[in-house]
Amino acid sequence: MIQHPGILALLVASGIVSLLLAAAGWQGFRILRGWDLRSGSEVQLDLERRTYLVSTLVANALLIQILSLFLFIFTADGLHTQFVGAMCAAGSLAVNGYGYPTLLVKVATCLLAGVWLVLHRADTQGYDYPLIRPKYLLLLVLVPLVLTETWLQLSYLTGLKADVMTSCCGSLFGQGRQGFAAELAGLPPRIMQPVFGGTFGALLLAGFALLRFRRGAGLFSALSLAFLLVAVAALISFFCLYIYELPTHHCPFCLLQREYGWVGYPLYATLLGGAIAGLGVGVLAPFRRQESLAGVVPAMQARLAWTTLVLAALFTLIVGVWMALSPLRL
Amino acid sequence: MIELAQVVKTYEAGLATPFTAVDGVTLSIPAARLTVFKGPSGSGKTTLLTLIGCMARPTSGRIHLHGLAADALPHLDATEALEITSLPERFLTAIRRRTFGFIFQQFNLVRGISVLENVLLPTYPTGEDPRAVEARAVARLESLGLARHLRASVDRLSGGEAQRVAIARALINDPAVIIADEPTAHLDSRLSEDFMGLMSQFKEAGKTLLITSHDPIVYDSELADRVVEMRDGRVVSEA
Repeated sequence: MIQHPGILALLVASGIVSLLLAAAGWQGFRILRGWDLRSGSEVQLDLERRTYLVSTLVANALLIQILSLFLFIFTADGLHTQFVGAMCAAGSLAVNGYGYPTLLVKVATCLLAGVWLVLHRADTQGYDYPLIRPKYLLLLVLVPLVLTETWLQLSYLTGLKADVMTSCCGSLFGQGRQGFAAELAGLPPRIMQPVFGGTFGALLLAGFALLRFRRGAGLFSALSLAFLLVAVAALISFFCLYIYELPTHHCPFCLLQREYGWVGYPLYATLLGGAIAGLGVGVLAPFRRQESLAGVVPAMQARLAWTTLVLAALFTLIVGVWMALSPLRL
Repeated sequence: MIELAQVVKTYEAGLATPFTAVDGVTLSIPAARLTVFKGPSGSGKTTLLTLIGCMARPTSGRIHLHGLAADALPHLDATEALEITSLPERFLTAIRRRTFGFIFQQFNLVRGISVLENVLLPTYPTGEDPRAVEARAVARLESLGLARHLRASVDRLSGGEAQRVAIARALINDPAVIIADEPTAHLDSRLSEDFMGLMSQFKEAGKTLLITSHDPIVYDSELADRVVEMRDGRVVSEA
């Protein structure tokens, strides 16, 4: 099974990303310990030169890291035919104890990698490396997380045994079952519909306040993360019922299949993209008065806020259109 | 003013054959004056000017520009000192383009294109109105006596004419500082005197002039406000 192209690509990508980030993490540690822009010492000038190389490597590694989340889901979905009982990625991920932890850590690193890229983008706009410390502090958080993910993913992919009987998504995300997934599936639509609508409305209002009055970056950021969580819960609770045209099928992974037009990919991409941009708004907020970023951060925050709003609206539009066209009525 | 503090440039630092071209130079260069750097080949004059002109980074030390890079960076006060050795590359590009004009020893004109096109080259990335910059380039070439060569290929120019084209190109973005590396090395005495005459005009216009030379026509000239002598990468005398 290890010869599967998706598995090979994931292992190679995670190996390369881990090596690059481990090396960059060491340089980041040196930068955090020794950075002093007022000094003209050889060490300081060497750090200034190295930060270009390190930042470029990390930026590219993190882009691969973000894309690898989707490759991981795609591969897990493609592998489900190999396991007895699996109907989609939900079953493949349940083949051993590392599948779901890998997915969760991958989502976390995807969000943090996105935030790092936002910080990096802002940092390169300032002439005095204004975000060098927060950028490398975040990198030092990312490195152990990515290394953990690499180990989890390796354990998961090398531990795939074709003779294992696994659970189907109907069993994992079925109402009345035990576990977090089943609890999400059991959330009543009459509660989740207003919660989703309320969160979307609050996000729009916070976005309006941010763009109009340049206030509330932290609130907007928190709401963008809340929208991600609520939207996933709403997707499992009721949106996917309309997509599957089945009142009892709550699986968030079958959406990734051809039968449903691979709609899961744009849905998850809009949610993750929107959350990353929204988190970026809040992360940049403390630096908007920094001299070299005064003309940069507000414009970047506005662009990021627009990105979050557009992607949240796009998610809502896609699920809304699907609901409207679905013959299912709850 | 340009201020250098303990500037060192070592090539192949950390390798088996390191070579220190500039060794701990601390210097203040006044604005709107002509400063000549003299010394034998290998004394570090050219390397020092490439560091000042943001074409290379020092191994250690800092270089500050005082009031010379006002329009190169946004939000920068015209009177504020700007430390250039730590600047990220994208900002260095803006400073190279706006603050410094370079006249190279070999002129470095692009063969196969016309005199006017050579002079216009540094303006292309600025996004200025092409008609305005062309008018400026024509006026500059006319003032240097090159009006009849505007559309001629640079391959057909004499040494003195080629140098004047290089001067026009260095001035096209109206830099505050002109850096000339051994500008009279390939000129006879009369053309060298002509060159110094042009430098006199630029000095009167308020330009800061930095020239490396071991030609007495340059460093013994009355125009030179300051002569910095270098040897083995160090400043050995200032007059």
